[in-house]
Amino acid sequence: MASITNEGQAPTSQAELLYQAQLRKERVFRTHVGVSWGVLFLILIFLFSGQDIKIGDFTIVQTINIDTEFMLKNITFIAGGLGQTLLISVLSILFAIMMALLAALGRLSKFPPIYALSTFYVSLIRGTPLYLQIFFFFLALPQLGIVLSGIVSGVLALGLNYGAYMSETFRAGLSSVGKGQREAAMALGMTPGQTMRRIVLPQALRFAIPPMGNDFISMTKDSALVSATGFVHELMWRATKVGRSQFNSLEALIMAAVFYWTLTLILTYFQGKLEARLSKGDR
Amino acid sequence: MPSSPIVKISNLDKYFGRLHVLKNVSLEVPERQVVCLIGRSGSGKSTLLRCINFLEEPSRGSIEVDGVHVDAEGKGKQQRQLIHDVRLKTGMVFQEFNLFPHMSVLDNVIEGPVTVKGMDRRQAIELAEQNLDSVGMFFKKDEYPMRLSGGQKQRVAIARALTMEPRVMLFDEPTSALDPELIGEVLNVMKKVALEGMTMIVVTHEMGFAREVADRVVVMADGELIEDATPENLFKDPKDARTKALIDRYRSGEG
Repeated sequence: MASITNEGQAPTSQAELLYQAQLRKERVFRTHVGVSWGVLFLILIFLFSGQDIKIGDFTIVQTINIDTEFMLKNITFIAGGLGQTLLISVLSILFAIMMALLAALGRLSKFPPIYALSTFYVSLIRGTPLYLQIFFFFLALPQLGIVLSGIVSGVLALGLNYGAYMSETFRAGLSSVGKGQREAAMALGMTPGQTMRRIVLPQALRFAIPPMGNDFISMTKDSALVSATGFVHELMWRATKVGRSQFNSLEALIMAAVFYWTLTLILTYFQGKLEARLSKGDR
Repeated sequence: MPSSPIVKISNLDKYFGRLHVLKNVSLEVPERQVVCLIGRSGSGKSTLLRCINFLEEPSRGSIEVDGVHVDAEGKGKQQRQLIHDVRLKTGMVFQEFNLFPHMSVLDNVIEGPVTVKGMDRRQAIELAEQNLDSVGMFFKKDEYPMRLSGGQKQRVAIARALTMEPRVMLFDEPTSALDPELIGEVLNVMKKVALEGMTMIVVTHEMGFAREVADRVVVMADGELIEDATPENLFKDPKDARTKALIDRYRSGEG
């Protein structure tokens, strides 16, 4: 079992040269993509820079003029919605994970009512628009005497909705754990509960974490739908409010877009890190 | 033959759907005996082994391990308790190792004692380390299974089963998934376990192992026990034509 290592000597074999060439190629590709991103970004900024390029009296290029004064004045107000956006997203994803886990386990149940409940829930949620679901909790329930605050109805609707979709991910995760794993646990004398908690779930969750990260990133943006109820003062609500009242929707929505986009970029970065760490894992 | 049987299989039947895979099988194994179960694939030998700890539920008949008697047709909570008791008395080693990939080697080995028996963690580690040492895997105790060779995985799996301190060890084709050069290390560990006095039932294609280590070889075909003899007698003078064919095939494979 001793392995031969020759540290220090860099072998310049044919394979090594080919490998180096391939690495160089990948590096060049990445650099070019980065530069192109930069160019596209500059073009976008230019489009909104309010330029008026003339030759003599003729305007040849005119770009969109935005009201920077309005933006500076309202940026803190809109940014103040970030906290709410994140709060709704975090609460909803936690609720969604719980629902997804229950639905996925229900789907594996041999007990017909539980199996039916799980498939019924997933079908109902996937068969109706998220927008409708949010309004259902906020507008339809009060008719029955159930009045929920904007944030509670938002979290319920987003959580139930994402839970239904995520249950599929969880189910795939659970079935990714081979039969042999359960048998080994059973042979050791573990109860079905112990087998699930100690052996199956940890492996299934590891499988499900990267897609869950993606769902969370989507959630931060779908949380904007909650603004429609008018009672949750998150990013989107704030942007539409100041935009409409001062007839500066262009500027307000651009600011909101920048916030969402930045948030997504940051979350995607961490998601990538997480995924890299998990893929190094032990399988 | 020494003492009373520690494993007693009585009139066992097993159906997979309409397929009758075990036909009224009875087998007694005395304590400290090493029994090899051989037969062509599909003969029912793995199914019989898996019925002993109820990974397969037999359709009729009964299993008794170290005084725990389980009737195939029992039901409910009491039945589950009996099956649990049998599983505590049996250790199993699988063809595909089935180590837990999310746990280190040491955690794999202490998982049973800690979770199932509620053993103190320190005590479990001590026991696990002894067993890892005896299968020659102590030096990999902090590795994850992914980083081990097949032979190493199987040795860890044997240590995992032994750490539950079973009365009987069941081996289900423990070397069939291994590269040929790794089979020896696993067979050597199994031989060592046998020499320490463990009762073993081994489903295997390794005739060399059967010949050298087994006290007794049981041949199965079409869901029935067709021959039951000491290795010398079986290899010298097989009674059944199907046994003869099996042994001839092994001899020709040996070259």
